[in-house]
Amino acid sequence: MTGPELGAAGFLVLLVLLALRIPIAVGLMVVGLTGYSIINGVGPLLNYLKTAPFWTYHVYDLSVVPLFMLMSQFATKAGLNAALFRAANLWLGHRRGGVAMATVGACAGFGAICGSSIATAVTMARVALPELRRYRYSGALATGTLAAGGTLGILIPPSIVLVLYAIITEANIVTLFQAAMVPGILAALGYVLAIGIYVRLRPDAGPVGDRASRREQWRGLLDVWPVLLIFVLVIGGIYVGIFTPTEGAAVGAFGTGLIAFAKARMGLNDFLDCLVGTAIPTAAIFMVLLGSEFFNAFLGFTRMPLILAELIGESGLSPMAVLAVVLIFFIALGCIMDSFAMILLTVPVLWPIIAGLDFGLDGEETKIWFGIIALIVVEVGLITPPVGLNVFIINSFAKDVPMTETYKGVVPFLLSDAVRVALLVLFPALTLTFPRLIG
Amino acid sequence: MDEPGSGGPSTDGPVGRCLSLLTRAFALAGGAILVAMTVMETVSITLRAVVGAPIPGDFELIKMGTAIAVVAFLPYCQLVKGNFIVDFVLARASDRVKAAMDALGGLALGFIAAILLWRMTLGGIDLRASADKSMVLSLPIWSAFPPILLSLALLVAVSLYVFWRDFKAAVR
Repeated sequence: MTGPELGAAGFLVLLVLLALRIPIAVGLMVVGLTGYSIINGVGPLLNYLKTAPFWTYHVYDLSVVPLFMLMSQFATKAGLNAALFRAANLWLGHRRGGVAMATVGACAGFGAICGSSIATAVTMARVALPELRRYRYSGALATGTLAAGGTLGILIPPSIVLVLYAIITEANIVTLFQAAMVPGILAALGYVLAIGIYVRLRPDAGPVGDRASRREQWRGLLDVWPVLLIFVLVIGGIYVGIFTPTEGAAVGAFGTGLIAFAKARMGLNDFLDCLVGTAIPTAAIFMVLLGSEFFNAFLGFTRMPLILAELIGESGLSPMAVLAVVLIFFIALGCIMDSFAMILLTVPVLWPIIAGLDFGLDGEETKIWFGIIALIVVEVGLITPPVGLNVFIINSFAKDVPMTETYKGVVPFLLSDAVRVALLVLFPALTLTFPRLIG
Repeated sequence: MDEPGSGGPSTDGPVGRCLSLLTRAFALAGGAILVAMTVMETVSITLRAVVGAPIPGDFELIKMGTAIAVVAFLPYCQLVKGNFIVDFVLARASDRVKAAMDALGGLALGFIAAILLWRMTLGGIDLRASADKSMVLSLPIWSAFPPILLSLALLVAVSLYVFWRDFKAAVR
């Protein structure tokens, strides 16, 4: 078997293992280590394992991942998710579909201090779902809004997926965070617009809520000052270069922790819960990271990614056609796989292919642009029927809403996503202008 | 579908209780390292703003701390089955089939973790002999290895425990 064939065979075996419920990290490790020893022999493999796992984790930028996880744990304990929803609802609730719009707004706000989609969806579902049902919003709209709103958690910086993407492709994390801002805002606006159109067509799906007085509205906004403060401090500091991403994440986690102690009177047990709550998602990501280190070490020796990229580069296919295939592949995989795992699994193979094509951008710009589009498309997979992970998780919170209703509910958001992805693909300037302005 | 990490075998019985306590203690220790990192960075940035000089070599401590903390998280995640799986093809399979596959996954991870424990013990000894040090603080690199090896040993034990639990559930 030649190198590239071995690489392809490795991928096939990996897919079979994953289909059989073997944890993604374990599948990557088994195939990666076996492949490594087939190519190089057992001796070099054993030598490689002496320190490779340590060097994989001993990376400065990686510290951002657990620190942002800790920060979102504290943010939830501080009740910032509830405060955000209350404030948004005071301003938007009296409109038709307003409570759903408020949910999107609150998701975007929480996304600004949380780097993960499922965490945002779950956290916001706890506070927004009871309210949506209380105002007699249809099950479809309520669950669809939350499933889609959750994806804002990862689009709006800080984004943990972008950190992983940056480490794989050696891109600049700060530039990626900057580039994600405009697409993230477009996503939130697009979702609000989707709700607006939906309730115009189906007025009974999103009844009007209570109207609040100006006074109440401003008071509600006052309650979310910690979110604003943390966001401006952390993201602003990272954007203008006062902080490295690690410093920003550390200061953000520290500040959010203080707010949780002061505002919500977080006790020792709550504090310990936050630490343990940080452990699970962090460990899950780092397990896959180690697996992908092993797997990519093996793939590198097979030269499979390089040869595949060369083949596609020379095939004369139009770059846009290749990109379209890659994006469809992402959506399909995103339906069944967590976005962290998916980026770690696919980008090492797909990025060289994209890098070899001419999109009229320079290398760094292509890297940033593709990273943002990949991030968005992966998230689209999270809400794509009939599988999308977010859809399942939100539906499990609303026991009385049949799955089919939730599927119907995410359709307007998927349409909004499709329009946005098309815009971002056709006009790279939407993504790249903001980093250029402040970079 | 459940939230990630809400599953995992029941941990009754002395071995289960013991592992449950130990993994939680390791997770808390990892968390404590993270909290210490947030405090250190906040102090460092404040110093940089006020005095003009940050804590020297803080980034070296961050790298070490991250590596030690995340490995300390792994056993707990494995015990509560927080690892990512693709629950698609076998989503409607019987609980016994799922348990059988989970047992296989647990056994495989236990085996790999055991190899890592063995090899990284030697790797740590090598690093100690070569006296590799960090640039600013002259921290010996090998000093990160003992806590990492302890976590790996616990990961081996937990993986085998999870394997045993799933195996029993599969053949019942």
